[in-house]
Amino acid sequence: MKVNEYYRASSLEDAYSKLQQSPKNVLLGGGLWLKKTAQSYDALIDLSCCELDKISETKEEVIVGSMVTQRDFENSPVVKSLFSDALAYSVREIMGVNFRNLATIGGSIMGRYPFSDVIAGLLPYDVSLEFYPKETMSLEDYLNFKGKKNSILVAVHIKKGSGKGYYKKAKTTALDFPIVNIAVSKVNNEYRIAVGARPMVGALAKEAMKYINSVSSPKKEDFEKAAELAVKELQFLDNKDSSAEYRYDLAKVYVRRGLEEVSK
Amino acid sequence: MKVSFYLNDVLVSYDVKPHEYLAATLRRNGVKSIKVGCNESSCGSCTLLIENKPVMSCSVLTASVEGKHITTVEGIQEEAAKLSRCFSNEGADQCGFCNVGYALVCYALKKEYKNPTDEEIINYIVGNLCRCSGLYSQLKAIKAYLKEE
Amino acid sequence: MADKKKLRVVNNKTPSVDGKGLMQGRSFYTDDLAAPNSLVIKMLRSPHAFAHIKSIDVSEAQKLNGVALVLTYKDVPHVSFSRAGQGYPEPSPHDKFILDEYVRYVGDEVAMVAAIDEEVAEEALKLIKVEYEVLDPVLDFETAYENKSVIHPEDGIKEMFPIGFDPKKNVAASYEMEVGDVEKELRKSDVVVEETFYTQAQAHAMLETHSSNARLDEHNRLVIYSSTQTPFHMRRIMATTLGMPVSQIRFIKPRVGGGFGGKQAFHGEFFCALTTLRTGRPSRFVYTREEVFGASYTRHPMKISLKIGAMKDGRINAIDCRSLSDTGAYGEHALTVFMIVGSKVLPLYNKVDAVRFGGRVVYTNHVPAGAYRGYGAIQGNYALESTIDVLSEKLGMDPKRVREINSMKEKETSPIFEIMGEGTKGTAMIMESCKLPYCISRGAELIDWKNNYPRKVINDHKVRGYGMAIAMQGSGIPFIDMGSASIKLNDGGSYMVTVGATDIGQGSDTIISQIVAEELQTTVDKVLIYSSDTDLTPFDCGAYASSTTYVSGNAAWKAAQKMRARLIKEASQYLNVKEDEVEFDGTTFTAKDKSVTLNDLSIQWLYNKDLHQVSVTESYYGHVSPPPFMAAYAEVEVDLETGEYEVVNYVTVTDCGTTINPMLARGQVEGGVVQGLGMACFEAVKYDKKGNLLSNNFLNYHIPTHKEIYKLTTEFADSYEPTGPFGAKSVGEIGIDTPPAVICNAIYNATGVRVHSLPITPEKILKGLKELKK
Repeated sequence: MKVNEYYRASSLEDAYSKLQQSPKNVLLGGGLWLKKTAQSYDALIDLSCCELDKISETKEEVIVGSMVTQRDFENSPVVKSLFSDALAYSVREIMGVNFRNLATIGGSIMGRYPFSDVIAGLLPYDVSLEFYPKETMSLEDYLNFKGKKNSILVAVHIKKGSGKGYYKKAKTTALDFPIVNIAVSKVNNEYRIAVGARPMVGALAKEAMKYINSVSSPKKEDFEKAAELAVKELQFLDNKDSSAEYRYDLAKVYVRRGLEEVSK
Repeated sequence: MKVSFYLNDVLVSYDVKPHEYLAATLRRNGVKSIKVGCNESSCGSCTLLIENKPVMSCSVLTASVEGKHITTVEGIQEEAAKLSRCFSNEGADQCGFCNVGYALVCYALKKEYKNPTDEEIINYIVGNLCRCSGLYSQLKAIKAYLKEE
Repeated sequence: MADKKKLRVVNNKTPSVDGKGLMQGRSFYTDDLAAPNSLVIKMLRSPHAFAHIKSIDVSEAQKLNGVALVLTYKDVPHVSFSRAGQGYPEPSPHDKFILDEYVRYVGDEVAMVAAIDEEVAEEALKLIKVEYEVLDPVLDFETAYENKSVIHPEDGIKEMFPIGFDPKKNVAASYEMEVGDVEKELRKSDVVVEETFYTQAQAHAMLETHSSNARLDEHNRLVIYSSTQTPFHMRRIMATTLGMPVSQIRFIKPRVGGGFGGKQAFHGEFFCALTTLRTGRPSRFVYTREEVFGASYTRHPMKISLKIGAMKDGRINAIDCRSLSDTGAYGEHALTVFMIVGSKVLPLYNKVDAVRFGGRVVYTNHVPAGAYRGYGAIQGNYALESTIDVLSEKLGMDPKRVREINSMKEKETSPIFEIMGEGTKGTAMIMESCKLPYCISRGAELIDWKNNYPRKVINDHKVRGYGMAIAMQGSGIPFIDMGSASIKLNDGGSYMVTVGATDIGQGSDTIISQIVAEELQTTVDKVLIYSSDTDLTPFDCGAYASSTTYVSGNAAWKAAQKMRARLIKEASQYLNVKEDEVEFDGTTFTAKDKSVTLNDLSIQWLYNKDLHQVSVTESYYGHVSPPPFMAAYAEVEVDLETGEYEVVNYVTVTDCGTTINPMLARGQVEGGVVQGLGMACFEAVKYDKKGNLLSNNFLNYHIPTHKEIYKLTTEFADSYEPTGPFGAKSVGEIGIDTPPAVICNAIYNATGVRVHSLPITPEKILKGLKELKK
């Protein structure tokens, strides 16, 4: 990576106007993946003066600043209290502490990395993204959004609710990308199922969700059927880490186990 | 550009390019205790502390640490000696290339947790690779170090 | 035999002599010691798996401000050599040039740039224009033999003595041997099993990447610091290849951040040497992690087919082993690795009436293969020890029992020892120490084999399986590997020990200090050790072939014995008594009522009376290569729905003779076991269809982390090797040998699925489980 200027933004407004000045200006999150891009940039925009590294809560939601590190996120008592620790757990599975002290929640989301544990982990919850200039978008809409977002992610809003979450990262070793990652939730009595790293970015299994939510007091067979539906509606592909078939098999088992787990 | 920060409590200033990383800046300026094993935030050898938090210095832009407090192993010599003793007792020391990273990450762990569980310890140190020791003896050594006063 | 109970330093806990300094960050690795303002070397590497360079234009690169030197094949001596880092003459083919007009794998060297800094060097690489004639690569080693693509068509390459080198057929080496009549014995057998296994390429993944740097000293001699296992071989090979006298080159090996065989060979040293010789300026070359994965070398992938015949009572009659090995683009260690598949594996079952081994080592357009801890043995062990389990099942016998009946015992031998060496004929030997039966029975106790084998059900989808294997290695190469040590007495009664033995992190400096301290009845802090530097230390072949404890350790022991005798002789003269009247307890010489301390004498000899330096040098080479032995057991927990598994406990019991340093010995065994588990379970070098390396970083090449290692149970047998220093044998490699077979057997016992190719991934297990259900 080559950079001409390291720009310490004084405010969001300042950062935004700098970002618009050149297509080769870029926001600096944790900087971990930026390093691997081997591109050259005019300016790296440092957001550390913008106070985006706080976690707060209201009655309805938890608001996570985009510059909150993965480590601060997983350690936050507020985040830990959400959905039986499932959100914090999904982030805790990423690399080591010396990595998570750098990686930011905002950076993990904005990159829309297919292997993202943060994205897959957040998907089965009611999560929206707040941008500067003022704009709000659900996480799912952002994943489906075509093109590059040239505004600044300010915060991630996670709607509170009562219920449980489940997260499974199938992997080779602790430092591996997931072969496939599965997140399942039951919040306010509604089941949601997300599968990521297929190897494409996380997606919700809507047919399966529709089915399982239509069954009153579902049993083992119903969970099995929902898992079957989930893997059928989602696309799985081969890459060097796994065949599509194995991803399919793993996702089926873990969606079922996840549903069983959150139903308890 | 000029960047100033506290290196083991001493204010230092270095002339750097905006895309230079901290591990490179420090090694270029004689802090050879920083070991670079992969230069892509995967092995943990280059770990140092920024504001007491362990990070991989190969992936921290030097420009981003303006005004911050940085601790390298030179700042925790006695703790490193203690950890070394524990490594020796368990047969966990070999080539030594990962050791400085471990010294810093274990020191930070000790400061952050009172009585960490095995799971918490492993979660904390898992980003530090070691190809020599077989890891198991290392974990035992680290547990012994955490119990020391 | 020395009485082990009386040992005070050897076989006792001693912290590594360099452990504290390294943990505290003292800067003594190669690149820490590069001269200030060294030119930075970067390499342009081939984007093609196989190509001929039609033209190469470096003029733009040369013009770039800050570029000091650009080299292509046109600018370097055209002398073939082997990078392998072996003794002379090498058993590896001389099939490599410093730079060549052919490139034979993605990552092969095309052109070198030396510049004032990394950025300029990288910029310059982009300015080099190369026109390639792209050739058809050979990417499947089973199609390499007599392929129409000939990977080494060039002139000037050669074998140093017959190794079966036949480059026109893509053969780097080949070998055949037979004892008895295998076909006849197989026909006579009640039961014959036949299995074929595939092993993958494995990366060393030592944490310090390959580094070297060069400068000219005040005599204008070339001084190279290198992260190497073989400084003396490097000096010789470099002198020959560059046409320089050996006297003009000095190799210094500082602390080395892990080697595992990966640093036995040359990596950047020639380029540092050429840059510094041609520019007069210091230079440094530090491989990136990507270069370590993509442009150094790997373990040899192999295909191994085995036939074993046995009688109903479990006695094995005959073993027939055919192998094919993939040496990649260059033939480093091609023959030696291949022969070990037979020579350090098949003698485990020494009661056979016939044994046959043979096959070829072929070139492909993959990253070259070379030395890697346990080479040949781990591949052979996986195939043989898995097949022994297949045989046991067919015989309806406990595999532990089959091993007990057939395996090597103390005072026995195998004809293979005499027939097969490393690249040459071997050396006959009797097992003076072999506690393998104890290792097998003790390991079984530790894993509770009686109650656990073959499996235990945990719940509706989890089972635990139990598996075992046995292994052997060697201790150096007899009549080839030599080590030496010099000891001088300092004032104050401490000793300076200089050895060529190459500490690469395994702790040889520590164990040599212990051996010397034990013999001289002193403590390790009075023994100062320095290794290794071709100017200052006596010769040693280097750290490979499990030679250091046995060969270099014996040299140090001999030198210490000589020093002890010398001190007693000189003290007797001082005290004016007969030599045999002098008692020396490490600090004081006593004869009847007279005494003098070593401290006093050491000062007098330097400053006051009868002035002289007391020093000794001794060398040692093995006449045998006593094998260490091991029995290993594992408990694996398998998820039958996903094929995922965890190695819950890995038990080893090792006979390595006396453990000079029990903690370091444990480190060697456990470190080896975990590298072996990596190979067994998930490590894999992967390429795309064009031969591009996919596993070129730690995110795509996975080595074990703290989350994958649950429990290691490591014990040693009480054993004494009469030819070893204080009874020691080697322990550096044996740990790595067993995991592939043990895990394969344990997974089979848990699931009924036998995986015939490494690594044994959950995906393969689940596939097998699905097939069983059909």
